[in-house]
Amino acid sequence: MTDRHLSLSRRRVLALGGAATGAAALGLPARLAAHDGTPVTLQLSWLHSVQFAGSYIAKARGIWHGEGLDVSLAPGGPNAPVEPPVVSGRALVGVSAADYTAAAVAQGAPFRIIGVAMQKNPFAIASLPANPVNAPADMMGKRIGMALANMPVLEALCTLNDVDIDRIEIVPTQYSAAPLLAGEVDCLLCWATDLPVAMAVQGVESVTMLMADHGYALHSQTYIATDESLRERRAQLVGLLRGEAMGWEAYRADLDAAVDLTLEMFPDAGLDPEAQRLQAERQVPLMFSELTDAHGFGWFTEETVARNIETLAVLGRDVSADLWDRSILEEVHAG
Amino acid sequence: MSTAESLPALRRLPALGAPFAAGLVLILLWEGLARLPGAEVLLAGPWDVALWLRENAGLMGRALAVTGAEAAAGFVLGNLAAVALALLAFALPRAERLIAALALLVFCLPLVATGPILRVLYGPGPGPQITLAALAVYYTTFVPLLVGLRAAPATWFDMVASYGRGHVAALIHVRLFAALPYLVAGLQIAAPAAFLGAMVGEFTGAERGMGVLTIRALRALDVEATWALATVAALVSIAVYAAIGRAGRRLLNAPPPVLLAPPSAARGPSPGRLLLRAGLAGAVALALWWGAMEAFDLNRFFAKRPGDVWAFLVTRPEAGAHRAELFGALGETLALAVPGYLAGLALGAALAVGLTLAPRAASLAMPVAVTLRAVPIVTTAPLIVLLMGRGPAGTIALVAVMIFFPVFVACLHGLARAPGQVLDVFDSYAAGPVQRLLHAQLPAMLPAFFASARMSLPAAMLAVTVVEWLATGRGVGALMALSASLSDYAMLWSAVVVVALATVAGHALLGAAEGRVLARYAGEQLR
Repeated sequence: MTDRHLSLSRRRVLALGGAATGAAALGLPARLAAHDGTPVTLQLSWLHSVQFAGSYIAKARGIWHGEGLDVSLAPGGPNAPVEPPVVSGRALVGVSAADYTAAAVAQGAPFRIIGVAMQKNPFAIASLPANPVNAPADMMGKRIGMALANMPVLEALCTLNDVDIDRIEIVPTQYSAAPLLAGEVDCLLCWATDLPVAMAVQGVESVTMLMADHGYALHSQTYIATDESLRERRAQLVGLLRGEAMGWEAYRADLDAAVDLTLEMFPDAGLDPEAQRLQAERQVPLMFSELTDAHGFGWFTEETVARNIETLAVLGRDVSADLWDRSILEEVHAG
Repeated sequence: MSTAESLPALRRLPALGAPFAAGLVLILLWEGLARLPGAEVLLAGPWDVALWLRENAGLMGRALAVTGAEAAAGFVLGNLAAVALALLAFALPRAERLIAALALLVFCLPLVATGPILRVLYGPGPGPQITLAALAVYYTTFVPLLVGLRAAPATWFDMVASYGRGHVAALIHVRLFAALPYLVAGLQIAAPAAFLGAMVGEFTGAERGMGVLTIRALRALDVEATWALATVAALVSIAVYAAIGRAGRRLLNAPPPVLLAPPSAARGPSPGRLLLRAGLAGAVALALWWGAMEAFDLNRFFAKRPGDVWAFLVTRPEAGAHRAELFGALGETLALAVPGYLAGLALGAALAVGLTLAPRAASLAMPVAVTLRAVPIVTTAPLIVLLMGRGPAGTIALVAVMIFFPVFVACLHGLARAPGQVLDVFDSYAAGPVQRLLHAQLPAMLPAFFASARMSLPAAMLAVTVVEWLATGRGVGALMALSASLSDYAMLWSAVVVVALATVAGHALLGAAEGRVLARYAGEQLR
C-alpha cells in the first residue's frame, strides 16, 4: 500500500461526498478502502446506468477493496453477450438471467446461478391508458410490438394465462417505444424499468402490466459463474457477491446518492438524471422482497427455484435445480 | 497588389454559392420531413438538432473525440492492410485469386459473430472498435486498388520491358501511379464506413462514444439526440470525404491515359481448374479459421471450429432440422438482398451518369449521397420503415441505400477516367454529351463499376442481415441474433458459413459476367 493509492482513494471518497459517510456507516476504515486487490471482472449485461448502481457503490466506497478485490465493471451492449467472457474466464462473474443461463447450459456452458439481483422478472406489457393492457387476456385482438427474439417470452405468458396467442398480432419492431407512440402497435413487450420510464420522461403516461404478476416467475439479473470458479476461486466469488449485497443495500437506503454516483462515474454515458431516478425507483420492488429482507440480498429458495423451473419448462427449457448454487450466498450472509 | 489577389477569390464566389444553396435546400427538405405527421417520434428537424447540440456540446465533443479516434485508427490500419494485400497479390500473381478470395471471406464475417470474439480477445478498451472499423474499410480499398494496378496502357509496360526491367519495376513505375485515382476512390468510400464501423464496434460493450450515445438515445426516445448524433456522424464523413477528394485532385493532375488493349483472346480457365482453385481457397480458409481459433485458444463454447459446424449441419441426428431452419431463413434473406442489391447498383450507376450529364447537380447530390451512407442504419431504419412499411419494400430500400454509395463513388471516378484525347475526338465531331457518354465515358467506367459491384455484394448481405436483426426480425440476420442471445453458437457459425458461401457464389457469377464484358471494353484488366 503506497501513499499514492491512499491519497487517490481519499480524493475519490471526498469527491463522492455522501459516499464517504456511507463508507463510514458501513464501518469500513479508509485504510481498507485503499487496499490493492486481486483484479477480477464483473461482466454487466447492458451499458452503464443505474441498473447496476449497487455495483458502482461497492466499487466507489471501497467495499470490494476491503474484500481484497480490484473489480472492473465491463459494460454490455446490443452485441455483447455475457456468456462468452464468463466461459472464457475473462470475467469472473456475469450478470445474466435464468432463461439465458439455461440456454447456455443446454449448449454445454458450465454455469451456475450464484445469486439473484432481480427477484421479480422485469418483463412487462406496456400500453397507453386510452387502450390499456391490464391483464394478459386484454392482449387479444391487439397488435404487440416486440423483438422476435422475445417470442418464447410471449408464448410462455400466453400459455400460463390461457391466452390464445393466435389472436394477438405480432409486429417485429426495434426495442423502442416509438412504434407504440407512432400508433404502429397497441402495446409493447419490454422491461418495466426502461421503455415505460423513457415514455414517462417524455411526458407520456403508460400502463405497465408486470408479467411476474401473471405467473411469469423467472429470476433476472442473476449472477453466473463457472463450475471451475466455484471450485477454485470461492473466496473471490464470496468477496464479489458480498460487495454486491452491501452495495445494493446502500442503494436501497439512499436512491438519490446512488443516482448521483452513477451520473458522476459515467459523465460520458449520456444518462438523463430524471430517467435514472425513475428507473432507480422502479427497480426497488423488483429487487427487494420479504425473502431478501429475511435472508439478505440475492437470496433464493427451493420454492422460488421450483417456480423458475416451471416457467422455464413452459419456455421449452428443461433444467434441474442444480443450475442454482446458493453456497456462495450462504457464506456472504453468514457474516 | 491586394486587389489583384482578391480577384480570384471573388471569382470563386459563385462556386461557393452552389453548395451553399444546396445545403439550404437539404435543410429545408429535412425540416419538412420532420414535420410530417407521425414523424415527431422518429425524426428531429435541423433546428431541434442544432439546439440539442448547443446544449450538449461537451458530451458530444467527448463522444466524437472517442469515436473519431477509433475510426481514424481503423481507417489507417484497414487501408494500410488493403494496400499491403493488393501489393502482395501483385507480387505473387499465382496467389492473387487466393488472397482476393480470403479477403472477401473475412469481409463477409458478420458483426454478431466477430463482436463477442473480439471483445473476449481484447478485453475492455477500444480494440474491437478499431478492428471493426478497419474490417469495414479494407475490402472497399483493396478491390479498386487491384483494378487500378492494371489500369495502365500496354505501351507503358512495353517501355519498362524494353529497358530490361521486370515485374517489380513495372509495379513501382507504372502500376502504383495508375492505381492512385482508384486508391482515392477507395479512401473516399472508406471514410463513412470507418466511422460507422467504429460506432457499431461500440455495441460490443464500450463505455463511451457516439455508438453508446446512439443506443441510449434510441431507447430513451430522445429523437433530438438520435438525429444530432446522426448529423455529426454525417458531417464528419462528408468533411473527410471532401478532404480526401481535394487531396486527390491536387495529387492527380495527370490526365487519364488512353488505355489501348486488344480484346482478350484468352479463354477462361477450364471448369476443372476453377474447381481446383475454389477447393484450394476453401481449404486455406478452413485451415485459417481453425488455426486462428486454436492459436488464440478461444473457448469452443462460442468459437466453433469447422468440425463443429460440419457436425451441426451434416452428421448430428438433428442436422436435417438445423439445415431446414437455416436454409429457410437464408431463402427469406436472399429474396430481399438480391433486389436491394440490384436496385442499389442501378441507383449508384444512374446517379453517377446523371451527374456527368448535369454536373451542376453534383453539389446537391453529393452531400445527400454521403449522408445516406454515413447515417447509422440503426437511426435510419425506423424512419424508412415508417415511410415504406415493414414489408419487403422497406428492407429492399435500406439495402439499396447502404450499397449505392460505393457504386456511385466508384462510377463517378470511373467516368472521369475517360481519356481527354478520346473526348477531344468527340468534341471535334461536335458529338453531344449523350454520344460521349455512351461511347467514351461508359466504357471507361466499366472496370470501376464491376469493382464496386463486387465489393457491394458482401455489403448488401451485411446490410440485409442488420435490417433483419434490428427491424424486421426475419431471415438469417434475425436467426444469427437469436442464436447469439440463446448461446446457440453452432447455429450462429453455420449461418456465418452459409452467408459467406452465398456471397462467394454471387461473386463467382458476377466474375463471369465481368470477364465477358471487360474482355471487350477493358482488355487490360484481364492480363
